[in-house]
Amino acid sequence: MSLSRVLNVLRKDLRLGPRSPIFLWTLVLPFAATLLMQVVFGSLLDPNPRLGVVDLGDSEISRDVQAIEGIRVALLDDPAELKEQVEAHDLDAGLILPAGFDEALRAGEKPPLELYISGQSARSDRAILAVTALDLVRQVEGSASLVDVQLVSLGEGEALAISERLIPLLVLLALVIAGVFLTSFTLVEERERHTLDALLVTPLTITEVLLSKAVLGLLLALAMAVVTLALNGALSAAPVALLLSLLAGAVMSVEIGLLYGTAARDTKSLYTLVKSLNLLVFAPVIFYLFPDWPQWIAKLFPTYWFLEPIFEVAVNGAGLSEVWFELLVSLALSVAFIPVIIVLGRRMQAQLGAA
Amino acid sequence: MAAATSASERTQAAISVEDLTYAYGDLVAVDGISFSVAPGEVLGFLGPNGAGKSTTIKVLTGQLSPRSGSARILGQDVGRDRPEVQARIGVCFEEKNLYLNMSGRENLRFFARLFGMPRFDPDPLLLRVGLADRGGDRVQGYSKGMRQRLMVARTLVNHPDVLFLDEPTDGLDPVSARTIRDIIREEAARGAAVLLTTHDMWEADELSDRVAFINEGRIAALDTPENLKLQYGERRVKVRTRVQGEIQEELISLDDPEAGERLRAAAAKDLLTIHTEEATLEQIFIRLTGRGLQ
Repeated sequence: MSLSRVLNVLRKDLRLGPRSPIFLWTLVLPFAATLLMQVVFGSLLDPNPRLGVVDLGDSEISRDVQAIEGIRVALLDDPAELKEQVEAHDLDAGLILPAGFDEALRAGEKPPLELYISGQSARSDRAILAVTALDLVRQVEGSASLVDVQLVSLGEGEALAISERLIPLLVLLALVIAGVFLTSFTLVEERERHTLDALLVTPLTITEVLLSKAVLGLLLALAMAVVTLALNGALSAAPVALLLSLLAGAVMSVEIGLLYGTAARDTKSLYTLVKSLNLLVFAPVIFYLFPDWPQWIAKLFPTYWFLEPIFEVAVNGAGLSEVWFELLVSLALSVAFIPVIIVLGRRMQAQLGAA
Repeated sequence: MAAATSASERTQAAISVEDLTYAYGDLVAVDGISFSVAPGEVLGFLGPNGAGKSTTIKVLTGQLSPRSGSARILGQDVGRDRPEVQARIGVCFEEKNLYLNMSGRENLRFFARLFGMPRFDPDPLLLRVGLADRGGDRVQGYSKGMRQRLMVARTLVNHPDVLFLDEPTDGLDPVSARTIRDIIREEAARGAAVLLTTHDMWEADELSDRVAFINEGRIAALDTPENLKLQYGERRVKVRTRVQGEIQEELISLDDPEAGERLRAAAAKDLLTIHTEEATLEQIFIRLTGRGLQ
């Protein structure tokens, strides 16, 4: 095994990368997928109502509203701009606080308060914002609440927004495109164009070829997964746990790519393999989107064992101590894949010679 | 048959093959062949498609493991010492397997690095194959002949002691073919052993010190082209003369006791041409195997 030869092949693939569509697709996909989720479906997936506030005086309400969890607040200066944004559904509602509002309220004058509602806003968002506005007014007025409402969350997944549930899908996409597709495609391309034959009559061995492809896929998968999490605001406060979880994901993805790449004789059979088996790769993602489904089924799929730590660390703020078991299972699965890859790699080499 | 490998040849041979057999499942592609190639020698491997030429090269270059027999390159066993053997050989494939998205220069540099030559300068090689001015262009813009010349250049990046050239001039324009033939001669003159497979009998005759006829996995004959022609060809000449304004042809066997008399008689007439009628390699091949080369 020569590290120098591995690096030479890696350097060649990195140099050829910008000239390869699959390579470029790997770099673009995390951005495209996140944009698709955020821009095209942004308002659908955003769980929080959006309230715009114009404070023409110095109301306590404009300060207090920003402290409320679950509402996205935008402070604006111009009432006309506020109305425009509400009308365009950039905001679900807009509140204009006139000058001297708090003083008039405390003096018992019952000043008028305008709350503009977007015609396209969800009914639930309108109700939330209207009740919130009333509650804030009551606080400034100084009147006590009639009851103390206690929020009790039922069901494990109830507190998560759809956008958070989509994070496993987005991260898995980044890992699969770079780790699985890029790795397998570059290998099959070398085979199909017979450049692999030329490589294997030099001192380069099949193991070194597979390793170089694996390193390429691993680096890009890891980088793209980090970028995806950053784009979705899900970079955890536990960087070591997150990095280990992503590394576990990148390693397994690359191994799946090598399994595909060594098993497929050409691009056509690679696509057939991908179409047949990718359901198994992506299956665990469905269980994050539908938390009411029996979650134990997700554990039957290998990719669950790295997706779960990524999800727990990136979304739920878990630390290494809470995800070590899943990481250990993921590592065990990755180790178990190695002999299969070696056998398939040798079979591929024999097929190359016999072709 | 002159294919036997003597003990002295084995010690000196760059390529030494003994009773080599390879089979694809039940199909025996190489059937107990033995031969050797000395340093500086060009051995032409002649045979039709499916005769076993490429399979033999694949075994000798470590792409396939033989079922039985031994294959040694520069004294090392190909199967056991594959990395060491591959470091000292150059292989030119029939398939043009270059990196099309890389330039000619990048292709050569990349392969040189795989041979542990990080400071390799590709320009002299590019100049040698007539690609000096196109070295920076991507290979996908090269013509067939240019690609083949680059293939040959790639074969030479590690200054190999043994060259395996699989149909290196097949379908090329005359200029590219001549460039490659010149390089083969130069490499042999440098001391490299060359195993050359080709369909082209003229090329084999021109380049090879010895030729091996391979058919159905076996070597049917192995000798110098001259010896093969003498052994299997007919010793006769064709004499063309003009008699009373008409051209006449006469075949005179050199084994005929009256050959001298007949030649003198022809010379006394208006002699136009005398040609030897030795057999071509293709005719010998057909005679030995009962089939053509295509």
